[in-house]
Amino acid sequence: MNSALHGLLLAGGKSSRMGCDKASMVFGDDGLTQAGRALRLLRQFCGPVYLSLREGQPVPAGGEGVPVLRDAPGGQGPLAGILAAFRQARGAAWLVMACDLPLVRPGVLARLVARYAEDPLLPFVAYASALDGLPEPLCAVYGPSAFPVLGRHAARGHFCPRRILREESVPLLALPEVDTGALTNVNTPQDVAGARIGAREVRVAWFGRLAEQRGLREESVATTAKTAGEFLREMSDRHRLGLDPGVVRVAVNDEFAPDAHPLQTGDRVVFLAPFAGG
Amino acid sequence: MFRLANHPIDPAPLRRELASEDCGGFVFFEGRVRDHHEGREVTGLYYEAYRELAEKEGCRLVREIALKHGVRAAAMHATGGLVPGDLAVWVGAAAAHREEAFVACRELIDAIKARVPIWKRESYVGGSSGWVEGCACAAGHGDGRRTPSSMTSGIPTATTSSDAADSGRSTTS
Repeated sequence: MNSALHGLLLAGGKSSRMGCDKASMVFGDDGLTQAGRALRLLRQFCGPVYLSLREGQPVPAGGEGVPVLRDAPGGQGPLAGILAAFRQARGAAWLVMACDLPLVRPGVLARLVARYAEDPLLPFVAYASALDGLPEPLCAVYGPSAFPVLGRHAARGHFCPRRILREESVPLLALPEVDTGALTNVNTPQDVAGARIGAREVRVAWFGRLAEQRGLREESVATTAKTAGEFLREMSDRHRLGLDPGVVRVAVNDEFAPDAHPLQTGDRVVFLAPFAGG
Repeated sequence: MFRLANHPIDPAPLRRELASEDCGGFVFFEGRVRDHHEGREVTGLYYEAYRELAEKEGCRLVREIALKHGVRAAAMHATGGLVPGDLAVWVGAAAAHREEAFVACRELIDAIKARVPIWKRESYVGGSSGWVEGCACAAGHGDGRRTPSSMTSGIPTATTSSDAADSGRSTTS
């Protein structure tokens, strides 16, 4: 489509929380692996498309035959992959996408590409997270002018792309209305259940006994549950928490919420075990 | 007025705030950490609150009960680690006459226990610990379910003037 735009699929993550290679997993009904699906998406918008892998990492299923860029030794995380891409084609603009974003649809990439086309001097075109407003660096366009900026940060030991985009005060785009949960990533097999088109992304805070049971204080969750009550049952099942809907209540955005309370992306949800103050 | 604060809490400012020349009865309740529970020796408690909602709901309860009984009311609850003898919760109600003050104070502590999102973890001699779960119903009968015997043994104390009373030796509320 746009021959100047190169595509880069970041698949070099270690998937340690998934217990297997995320890129080779199949989530949708189309039978495509994450890598296969993402590559197809990138090809809709890019000329050459590359697969970014760690040194020695095997090519994930669905990525066969795609040219591979290996992380430069000594680099860290996704930034190593992006820098390797610029070393491959310094003057190119790169549409970069992580392989663990199963909810990204063409419209999400189209908005990035359109914005970049308006102003090809931009070093970065990225979305703001629907959850916290921070930059989403792993589904973004990196223009040629981004290369020296990234190199400068890397030299100072800054390897977190989100932090770099923040420090560079990159103006951010809003996600398309219908796709506010599109950049929900998938880190655990449990997330997979929620990783379907139409999922909402909510933040869950855990307290007391439930925090201990869950082993977490806070997390982001993709869910297809439409109401607070449905979400309670879903989370209870997903994590085998044994939450009795007759006993455990739900708070949404710091207010008690009835079972039928509709959930929206960006909501903060807390499950309330019976209280024991006093 | 409902406050959450890290242990140790100091109710003196609330006491001063509630005391008023038109209030002849001032009842307050202090819930203190008790050194035993269901036959086990308790070495400490840890209170964890969902702060945003706890403060909101606590303030609502105080307003509700103050309005209902025509009293001045306030309460505060400690968070964090406490040991036996420490002050966990303080509830005060001041009114023209003692009757309303007694009733409101009692109602407020019961409501706080039932409706404010605070959780409690007990530590026992020997090093074990566990979350103590209150009763899910809003009846306000204090601890229930896993801990059927009520831990409340504090007795509200009253004076006939704005001068605050001794708290007596109440234990965990």
